[in-house]
Amino acid sequence: MLQTNIHPTGLPRRRRWMPGGYRTALYALGACAGLLLALSTGVHAQSAPANPPPNTPPAATPGDVGKQLFPNPQSAPLPNMQTPKPPTEVPGAKQGASEAGKQLFPGAPKNPVPASPEALTAPPAQGAGDTRGLDQEIQGLKKDVVDLNKDLFILEEELLFPANTQVAVFLSVDVGNFFALDAVQLKLDQKEVINYLYTPRERDALLKGGVQRLYLGNLKVGPHELVAFFSGSGPNARAYKRGASLRFEKGVGAKYLELKINDRQRKLEPEFEIKDWE
Amino acid sequence: MASEPPYALLGRVAPDFALHAAAGDTVRLSEHRGEVVVLSFWSSRCTSCRTQLTALNRSFATYRSAGLTMYGVGVDDDPTQSREFARSARVDFALLLDPAKAVSRSYEVDNLPMTVLIDRNGTVRYVLRDYTDASSRLYLQQLRTLLNE
Repeated sequence: MLQTNIHPTGLPRRRRWMPGGYRTALYALGACAGLLLALSTGVHAQSAPANPPPNTPPAATPGDVGKQLFPNPQSAPLPNMQTPKPPTEVPGAKQGASEAGKQLFPGAPKNPVPASPEALTAPPAQGAGDTRGLDQEIQGLKKDVVDLNKDLFILEEELLFPANTQVAVFLSVDVGNFFALDAVQLKLDQKEVINYLYTPRERDALLKGGVQRLYLGNLKVGPHELVAFFSGSGPNARAYKRGASLRFEKGVGAKYLELKINDRQRKLEPEFEIKDWE
Repeated sequence: MASEPPYALLGRVAPDFALHAAAGDTVRLSEHRGEVVVLSFWSSRCTSCRTQLTALNRSFATYRSAGLTMYGVGVDDDPTQSREFARSARVDFALLLDPAKAVSRSYEVDNLPMTVLIDRNGTVRYVLRDYTDASSRLYLQQLRTLLNE
């Protein structure tokens, strides 16, 4: 009985049948992998930029980014795995296709070899890498633009409000149980410089500890007077308006003043003061 | 018939403002960046303004959920008149008071009612300087265009 299961080649019958089936399955998987790879390459060719030719410099200048994002399809042929023979009418297309083939499968034989099952799940490494690189480059450029904008803003402030003549008025609210700020009017040397209305969002931000720069301007050296009028709703939601004033000496250098709204717990009413930051 | 002069703010960033509402809190335009904003300038003495505000209220009810914000800006000298008008108008959007006319000056209001459409980036895109059937249809087209962007 044992002899009937043994083939003349010396291998068991079932073991002899399995390699053929396994090979067929591998061929089928390979065909699927090839098809998926071709499809994914086609998708990448449509959505992502083409792989740069080998002589393309790796570092791109900001002006070149647009070129890489939207390459001219005639000057930079796309790697298309579904068309092994590019049309000969387009000059340079054949060379481009062969270069693309080299980039995707360096040293690959002409006849397709059945791919391993891992190839089905493996993404097109180079295309994804290029896209990731471009994303990083764009993010880097965006960060540069934000940094440049910040520098320009600082430079503009330094030019418009030099440190010698600069005066800045800040506003802060502490607790705020007895007063809901609605508006602040600011007079500097009897001249109205700002009249600011507060929205609920801004009030919330102040109550959370935010400090607002209410005014930024220039003043000459000498004595000055700042008057601030606060209006809003006070205890029991009644209309409440109060003022505060401060005489100060503007010397050489920037001057910083702070309008502070505090809750006075003893009298159950708000307190307004102007603080001079020495 | 002389054609209307071109609106100078078209394509420019809408001037920011903060105004008291006839009923409710203060409104600041810059807090609505990312929404399509419709500003309608009105007066209590303008008869067609009331009709227009009612028509605007219908579009507001329809497109509110799509990111539409609408404000009426009253340009009366007397805020009391504006408040009375606002009470009787019965619209769902806030009616703001601009007795000092600082906002109407910055928006170069030269006719009432006047409607300004601001896109999600805060740019003035369309302006309607009258209220007719044709302008109402045009307003809806322009509003849908902005909401679709």
